[in-house]
Amino acid sequence: MSAVSTWVSETLVRDPTERRIFAVLGLITVLLVVGVLTGVIGPRFLLFQIALVGMYALLSLGLNVQWGYAGLINFSVAAFWGIGAYCAALLTAPNSPLGLGLHPVFGFLAAIVVSAFIAVLIGIPTLRLREDYLAIASLGLAEVIRAIILNERQWTAGSSGISGIPNLMSWLPLTDAATTAAIVVVLIAVVYLFLRRVHRSPWGRVLRTIRSDEDLAKALGKNTYQFKMQAFVIGSVIMAVAGAFYAHLNLYIDPSDLVPLTTFYIWIAVILGGTGSNRGAVVGAAVVIAIREGTRFLNDIGFIQTLGIDLAPLRLLFVGGLIILIMRFRQDGLLPPKDELIWPAARDESSTGGASPSGAVPDGGTASNGGDDR
Amino acid sequence: MNDGAYEGAHLGKDDVVLKTTDLEKAFGGLVATDGVSIEVERGTITGMIGPNGAGKSTLFNLISGFYENDAGHVTVNGEDVTDLEPHERARKGLVRTFQTPRRLEGMSVREAMLVGPGPQKGESIFSLFFSGSDVTEEERANIEQTRELLERFEIGHLIDQPSTDLSGGQMKLVELARAFTTDPDILLLDEPVAGVNPTLANDIKRFIRELNEEGQTFLIIEHDMPFIMDLADPIIVLDQGKVLMEGSPDEVRSDDRVIEAYLGGAGP
Ligand SMILES: Nc1ncnc2c1ncn2[C@@H]1O[C@H](COP(=O)(O)OP(=O)(O)O)[C@@H](O)[C@H]1O
Ligand SMILES: [Mg+2]
Repeated sequence: MSAVSTWVSETLVRDPTERRIFAVLGLITVLLVVGVLTGVIGPRFLLFQIALVGMYALLSLGLNVQWGYAGLINFSVAAFWGIGAYCAALLTAPNSPLGLGLHPVFGFLAAIVVSAFIAVLIGIPTLRLREDYLAIASLGLAEVIRAIILNERQWTAGSSGISGIPNLMSWLPLTDAATTAAIVVVLIAVVYLFLRRVHRSPWGRVLRTIRSDEDLAKALGKNTYQFKMQAFVIGSVIMAVAGAFYAHLNLYIDPSDLVPLTTFYIWIAVILGGTGSNRGAVVGAAVVIAIREGTRFLNDIGFIQTLGIDLAPLRLLFVGGLIILIMRFRQDGLLPPKDELIWPAARDESSTGGASPSGAVPDGGTASNGGDDR
Repeated sequence: MNDGAYEGAHLGKDDVVLKTTDLEKAFGGLVATDGVSIEVERGTITGMIGPNGAGKSTLFNLISGFYENDAGHVTVNGEDVTDLEPHERARKGLVRTFQTPRRLEGMSVREAMLVGPGPQKGESIFSLFFSGSDVTEEERANIEQTRELLERFEIGHLIDQPSTDLSGGQMKLVELARAFTTDPDILLLDEPVAGVNPTLANDIKRFIRELNEEGQTFLIIEHDMPFIMDLADPIIVLDQGKVLMEGSPDEVRSDDRVIEAYLGGAGP
């Protein structure tokens, strides 16, 4: 038990505010469990929400690689997500226009290959130029992908969508809801561990340099175009995997989710969580989705019904208000990046005695004093 | 000043690291670099001076590839690098610093320093997964080099500081140290002591001299006359995009054309 608490305090929690944030998250978890045990919340509903939050966490992790690591402005999160979802749906659903009914593995593989290909295609003309070119091109891509799916009915079924997408791993001795929730947890763990390894390394360091000053990275001999391309492709592939997962979670897909609003939510999640922080991306996604889903039920609360106003459509307002609050009191997001981007195996022995084991950058100070130097 | 006054730089030196041939660059109607041919000999600290707007920074940008030239060539160690990207030129041994210090947000001094050495094995995702121990070994060596270099530059105590918290002068020192970790054949420094207090400026001078004695070649733009006159030899004087002259500090100091250029030039 004490080993666990040491691990938690050294790797997860870095300052008192973080302790409070994790305490709140822990409390919410306890409440949810109590809710299920007392029958207030249906376990199926909760597992579905977990899977949904997990999917958004994957999307946020993907955007965090692009924007958080490398400073790339990608406004086509929804497009890459949609590419993944449609790859899975088209290949695996027996009644999709392709009618193949393949094993889900092929859907995921196609999602990875196609999204990587399209990311490279967008990256080639834009990543050599100033950062705003990618922003504009990605805005265009989002609309193009949506238009293609809507209009190429013979391939995509258009606005009527694709149903009959199979469940994942239905042979597991779990309910379908529990299986998908378990799968998303595994997906997040794999992506998280992958990103943790690549980020705290010379590779991650070059990306962070590019993010704050690309010319400097060039002057030091770094092929910034190549690094940005790698970050862009990795992020896009993660988004597409999230999309493929969603297809198997929802079992139905149509183009209506490929709207800019999805992209907006992911951006909010990353900024809210702490740009550049993987932990932050996951927590940010959970918070944004909790607000989005939670506010659906606002109108059911008796007190609010007596007021006679329709609150649910105001959920964007809640999200906006939350962002303003957090940016006011915790400028760098809920869980800003703390680790020095140094290969962990190398720092144990040879770092200076003065360095504390967990992240030597004293940004506890910078983060909480609202310093304007960051 | 008539055109005949522009004598040009000394060419035909022995062991040339960096050479430019008839470099030209115009911004709209403004010719910022006007047929500049210079040579930097290996092992020297070559200075570059000239009044504000003479085109010194522009020339650096052309040499390092950040600006595209209209005409002319840049050669490093005898190899034409005119068509190469900035990062490729850096790999060829031509490394520059910037006039305004570049602050790396969210990075400690240690991290900011560790971006210098290159190309590193750990910059490849493949190596991170399949030759982790090589990455570890290289990273250890680089951390050790960083520590030694910062200590040598007498800023060892700053290693854990956020790099955004450094003073301008300390930042210039870190930049010099980092540029040095790239193991360059020639270091181009753009105003290394601009806005730096005199004590720190003296330190920087001392460190540059030390590195030079160990064989490092420098080309240094500097506004601070006593600083550059004390440090560099030869000195190239730029004026209105052209090379006015090149000579020893004494020759430059006593040259009427140089005095005239600094006094405002456009005489009768
Ligand atoms: N990117 C640019 N666009 C337009 N004009 C420029 C640019 N860079 C430099 N110049 C002009 O070129 C001339 C030389 O500038 P610069 O090389 O910065 O001079 P120095 O470094 O010697 O003070 C100046 O007149 C300057 O205004
Ligand atoms: Mg200048």
